Amino acid sequence: MAKVTYSGVRESKPGRVNDLGSTGKEVEENFRKGCLKRADRSFAQGLQCQQINSLAALMSLEDAVFISHSPQGCVGCAIMAIDMYRVGQIHRGVRNVKNPRLIVTNLDQKSVVFGGEPKLREAVEKAIDRYSPKLIFVFTSCASGIIGDDVDAICDSLQKDYPDTLLVPIHCEGFKSKICASGFDAAFISINKYILKHQKIEKEEGLINLFAPTTVSYADQKEMERMLKLLGAKVNYIPFYSSLEKIRKIPAAQASTSICKVFADEFMKTLEEDYDIPYSHTVMPIGIRNTDKWYRGIAKVIGKEKEVEEIIAREHERIEPLVKKIRDRLQGKRVFICGGTGRSFAAAALIDDFGMELIGLETPTYDDDAQIDIEYLNGIHKDFVIDIANMQPFEQVNLVNRLKPDAFIGVPEWAAKLGVPTTHVLDGKRPTMGYDGLLFLGNKIADQLENPGFNKKLAAHSKLPYKDSWYEQNPFKYITEGGN
Amino acid sequence: MSNVMENPKGGCVLAGINSVLGAIDRVCPIYHSGPGCCMQTSASDQGQSGHKSSCFVSSVSIPSSNMLEKEVVFGGTNKLRTTIQGAIDIIDADAYFVLTGCTAGIIGDDIVSVTNEFSEKGIPVYPIETPGFAGDSNLGYETVWNTFIDQVIETDVPKDDKLVNIFGIIPYHDPFWSGALEEIDRILSQLGLKVNTFFTKGQGIDTIRKCSGAALNIVISPWLFTGPAKKFEKKLGVPFIRIPGMFVGATDTTRFVRDVASALDLDNDLVEKVIAREEKYVYNYLEQAIGVLSWKRFAVVSDANNAIGFTRYLANDYSFTPVLVIISEPIFRQEDKDRIIKEIQDLEYARPPKVLFLTDQYEINKAIREEEQEITLLIGSSNDREIALEKDIQFILGSFPMSERLIFNRTYTGYRGSLTFTEDIYDNN
Repeated sequence: MAKVTYSGVRESKPGRVNDLGSTGKEVEENFRKGCLKRADRSFAQGLQCQQINSLAALMSLEDAVFISHSPQGCVGCAIMAIDMYRVGQIHRGVRNVKNPRLIVTNLDQKSVVFGGEPKLREAVEKAIDRYSPKLIFVFTSCASGIIGDDVDAICDSLQKDYPDTLLVPIHCEGFKSKICASGFDAAFISINKYILKHQKIEKEEGLINLFAPTTVSYADQKEMERMLKLLGAKVNYIPFYSSLEKIRKIPAAQASTSICKVFADEFMKTLEEDYDIPYSHTVMPIGIRNTDKWYRGIAKVIGKEKEVEEIIAREHERIEPLVKKIRDRLQGKRVFICGGTGRSFAAAALIDDFGMELIGLETPTYDDDAQIDIEYLNGIHKDFVIDIANMQPFEQVNLVNRLKPDAFIGVPEWAAKLGVPTTHVLDGKRPTMGYDGLLFLGNKIADQLENPGFNKKLAAHSKLPYKDSWYEQNPFKYITEGGN
Repeated sequence: MSNVMENPKGGCVLAGINSVLGAIDRVCPIYHSGPGCCMQTSASDQGQSGHKSSCFVSSVSIPSSNMLEKEVVFGGTNKLRTTIQGAIDIIDADAYFVLTGCTAGIIGDDIVSVTNEFSEKGIPVYPIETPGFAGDSNLGYETVWNTFIDQVIETDVPKDDKLVNIFGIIPYHDPFWSGALEEIDRILSQLGLKVNTFFTKGQGIDTIRKCSGAALNIVISPWLFTGPAKKFEKKLGVPFIRIPGMFVGATDTTRFVRDVASALDLDNDLVEKVIAREEKYVYNYLEQAIGVLSWKRFAVVSDANNAIGFTRYLANDYSFTPVLVIISEPIFRQEDKDRIIKEIQDLEYARPPKVLFLTDQYEINKAIREEEQEITLLIGSSNDREIALEKDIQFILGSFPMSERLIFNRTYTGYRGSLTFTEDIYDNN
């Protein structure tokens, strides 16, 4: 049987669901029985599109120019990656902070009618003329996709004119997926196709690919590298803050792992198939349990099971008295969590370290990977609501208002206006991960819970845009079966 | 018409529309667009304009039909209909505006017939048919006002000879928009005027519906809003004056006050009393810090409005030396460029600076890098910090896009804003 090539669209995986309202117990059982159905929302709020993730994944690469083949509006969210790139340089001690070289082709009315090829050619020529980059990534958009620009063919023809720069088209048209993490896959598929090209290279003893998205802080990078070095590994930290040279080194690794559950997970499978690189795909290393699990996962792949147990024991000895202090402050508090796939499940495991109780979880996708986490969470927490949603703040505020949690973990904007103490496990500028990140995070949660004055006063002065009647209704009333 | 651009400043036409709608109290945009457009268009302007965002709905709070492959192929009007219905059911807004993204625009979905189904029932749902690829945030500002003039503003409103409307300052695009509007409101109120800023004081759609009762439209911009201002005058009978640039400091703010007073034929004694009081307030501070700021040869990279304000204040009122002014927003008409150049170069004592129109970051950096005259102060956006660091020039983050400072009500506009501007330029190095 011929191998089925993964398209990069996460919906193509059987059993994956993006729109669902349920409980932990119910969803676990229904998934096991194969009863979860693909659904949609007849009313929804805006999503994050996959093009945002494709751009964000790569925009800190040193020797590259990034071309968005789109109207100007499609690079709005690039500011998040641009900001991380700038701040990341400051954290790494760079004095003359640079902008990433992002060029938008600025498709307009004329391009919609006559095609955008001339603009794409002009952008590539400008990029080469200005920077002679080693790499040019070309990101597609809804507009370029619908008007039918053949970006692959245009890049192919330009590649012949400019042999010194590698042109890498990335197919991340927003309309192709509801799951923004598809954009990561689109980027990695192109990296394999255009840069690595299935060519095996000599292995480097002890080298580990550590895949990290743009949202991982430098403090977290150092903690992850510290942990892997304790196992005697050399780390190839990619693609955040890396280079063509480091990407080319990927096939030389002895093993791969990722910091985020939905970042490079599909790519690591490909690396195993194409370059015989085993990998560990577990959880995000946030909290004791998850950090242990993540650490053991990669240690097993490189045959360091014994060593890792010694280190974990040592780290626990160091960290547990400190965690206990935090647990004393947080024990029994009821928590609602909203986040991306990796962070939401990691936060759910984290709160167990602190003896907190999960009462609601909002996460973008449900699939066999989520099932493993839910089975684990059902073993700890007796009853919690689950909302499979990419944000959808209208459902979130309905649930938070109903469940009245003691604490909310996630994007604080809406829960704060309901007066609930809020905190976040996504901080690309400060520590979150590993054993040291845990303490920073725990203290942050405990401090914010103890001192909720800002949110309480804010709630007294601020009103969310929803009608009072909405809070009385079923939060999942707009979820309809048989959607996209 | 749009150009290939490195590190563009601002978003598409939807971003400009969204910025305006987001700044009006209790107004809800509804996107008929691809899945990322709400977030992209909020991030491009609100997200890079000093970190404040519309608190009613913005980004992922905005209702959206999130058009995927199915809608691209089969059309998305059914999805739009249920999205509008849901928005009406749960969002407590006074008006809803349906925006069309590139996807809806290219496949040609008929949104007007869908919005008509609701407006026929008396629900205020208005269509804005301008897909993202039609232009930039600036065009979005004009587009939304054209929509208001065509569909929202009432025609039979009684005239109020003390009421004025302010245009030209784009909320969430000009980082200092709310502080600027508050300062303008403060100044004009002292002249006995009632001021529609539309985006402060909790003004809502009702203010917009009734704004045809104004005696004067004041357009504060050297180039924006010509079309809507003329249309407004023709359809709704309100004349307009153009203030050809943001006013920073005593000289230009007084010129602004006199222009408005003359257009409305206000009581001269009152006007002169206000001017004297305000100027005294400014100089009372300036005289307490003489020589505290070292002398600068400066360059500005900014939108035209603020570039004029910054340059004229620093040159005319503060005796700094202007070297180079780069207008970093796309401006296509020569007459607009001429008006901008005139405002920047027609200075009282200072030698006129070089004026360039460059939107591409590479070209902006190159112009500053290759400038032969020494520059010791650069006022620019977050994108322009790189070249300031490279050339070791003192840098003030004073223009859009601005992602490294938080701006609530701070402004450099007017009498009081010029003091804040001067404070920010102080450097103890």
